[in-house]
Amino acid sequence: MNFLLNTGRTIAQGSTVERKNSTKYREEASAVSMNPVDMFELMVEQGDRVRVKSGAGEVVMWVRQDPGLVRGKVFVCLGPYANHLVGPETHGTGMPDFKSTPVSIEPTDDPVPSVAMLMRECGGVPYED
Amino acid sequence: MKIEDVVCPFCGCLCDDLVVEVEGTKVVNVENGCTLANEKFMGDHRLNAPIRRAGEGWEEVSYNEAIEETAAILLDADRPLLYGWSGTFGEAQSVGVHLAELLGAVIDNTSTVCHGPSIMAIQEVGHPGCTLGQVKNRADVVVYWAANPIEAHPRHMSRYTTFCDGFFVKSAFRERKVIVVDVRETDSSQVADEFVKVNPGGDYAVLSALRAIVRGKRDLIPLSVEGVSREQLFRVADLCMSAKFGAIFFGVGLTMAQGKYKNIRNAIELTEELNRHTKFTISPMRGHWNVYGSNEVFTWITGYPYAVDFARGIAFYNPGETTSVDVLRRGECDACLVVASDPGAHFPRACAEHLAHIPTVQIDPHVNATTHLSRIQIPVAVTGIDAEGTAYRMDGVPIRTRRLFFGNYPDDLEVLEKIYRIVREARG
Repeated sequence: MNFLLNTGRTIAQGSTVERKNSTKYREEASAVSMNPVDMFELMVEQGDRVRVKSGAGEVVMWVRQDPGLVRGKVFVCLGPYANHLVGPETHGTGMPDFKSTPVSIEPTDDPVPSVAMLMRECGGVPYED
Repeated sequence: MKIEDVVCPFCGCLCDDLVVEVEGTKVVNVENGCTLANEKFMGDHRLNAPIRRAGEGWEEVSYNEAIEETAAILLDADRPLLYGWSGTFGEAQSVGVHLAELLGAVIDNTSTVCHGPSIMAIQEVGHPGCTLGQVKNRADVVVYWAANPIEAHPRHMSRYTTFCDGFFVKSAFRERKVIVVDVRETDSSQVADEFVKVNPGGDYAVLSALRAIVRGKRDLIPLSVEGVSREQLFRVADLCMSAKFGAIFFGVGLTMAQGKYKNIRNAIELTEELNRHTKFTISPMRGHWNVYGSNEVFTWITGYPYAVDFARGIAFYNPGETTSVDVLRRGECDACLVVASDPGAHFPRACAEHLAHIPTVQIDPHVNATTHLSRIQIPVAVTGIDAEGTAYRMDGVPIRTRRLFFGNYPDDLEVLEKIYRIVREARG
């Protein structure tokens, strides 16, 4: 199914922002919030894993129900998971399209990667603290 | 020991009324702080010593070694990028700008992926802003546009707007009207007197419709504008025009959405239209505690607030070209110094890939996503806890952060000055 990805701050993201290797940060940053009717159509439940793909990349996240979102729109807090999907085009403004990335979402059994693993995909070397 | 009037170094609110209890080199209690402040002060998850990538692993190195190697990386680069700066204090930012000039580098701060477009709009049409004290004491209508203060600036509403009584607003909760405009329901929209739900990307059209109404052109407005009914638009415009003093606060929901800086320009021009009827101001909800300071410091020294390119020997500024995301996505920079921010987490993947490809050095107290992309990380003291310096609140008021205890880490200024001295010596 196709969706429009929005990103932004959450209090849980802010609370764990200085512990990016932690499970708490991973849980918050890798949650994709979705309207319950969309979840029904995708045949996924709260906590299920999904593969989210965009023109820039793809990443596995877990589903969080949010009735405040309109259908067709999903929300991920700002961070490395969301940014695995956001393209680098800035339209001459310096600012990427953090609020409006078209994505497709499908259920998966694959695990949600850690932040370190995401950075390894980018060419980095994980540092475990 | 209890320390009063402590300044919180987390968000742009820069709350200066915290009471922090310290035992030795540990914070044991925080009063008056929000969840974010409590985590910031009580959190104790710092990197212990400088680290350097060694093959597929990491090794600890001394500060001197890490600093000398950082200087060598920067000296060896043809087009270094110095990025971040919003999470450190003004004195350190100043050394960063001088270092960039010496290196002929691009220097950019986190505004570039935050309120950079707001600055571009302000450069076009000006900024009818005011201090938060004015809002607290006078505003009877407050608009949060594309912002979610309860999650991003948790005490903004209780210190300055919705829940805070002021000199001319004796009972804020009853007398202040709060309008929230957003593309989704949030905790902030739930406390609003009027929640305006806009279609994603529809802000520009809604702002234009409100401008038309304020100009007296109600007959031009269609039944619905980007998901907002004509009746609600009329109601919001009437509420704004009948205010004695109105304040618009906008978030990155406007700067990052389609239209980018043109959205902000339209919002500023709506403010201008409203000033034909009453007093209205508009201000960005700045994110990092000292991102405003980075704009101030960059501007004093270079004339430009962010995205400054010294490659020509003079300061050059052209958002879209000299902004970090563009420099990285073009694969242009051949070394990067990251100070007090985390582009690995907050830049698009393509930029993170380039950071991993080139020698990247990070100066930051904590392990973050950029750590994994770096070659070297140098841990420093946390400003506002074991370092002190000047910061600028989101309304441009400078506030000096305080050192609560002397720890074992050098601060950003000390590390940057050492790098600067080595570079200056090498460059003559």
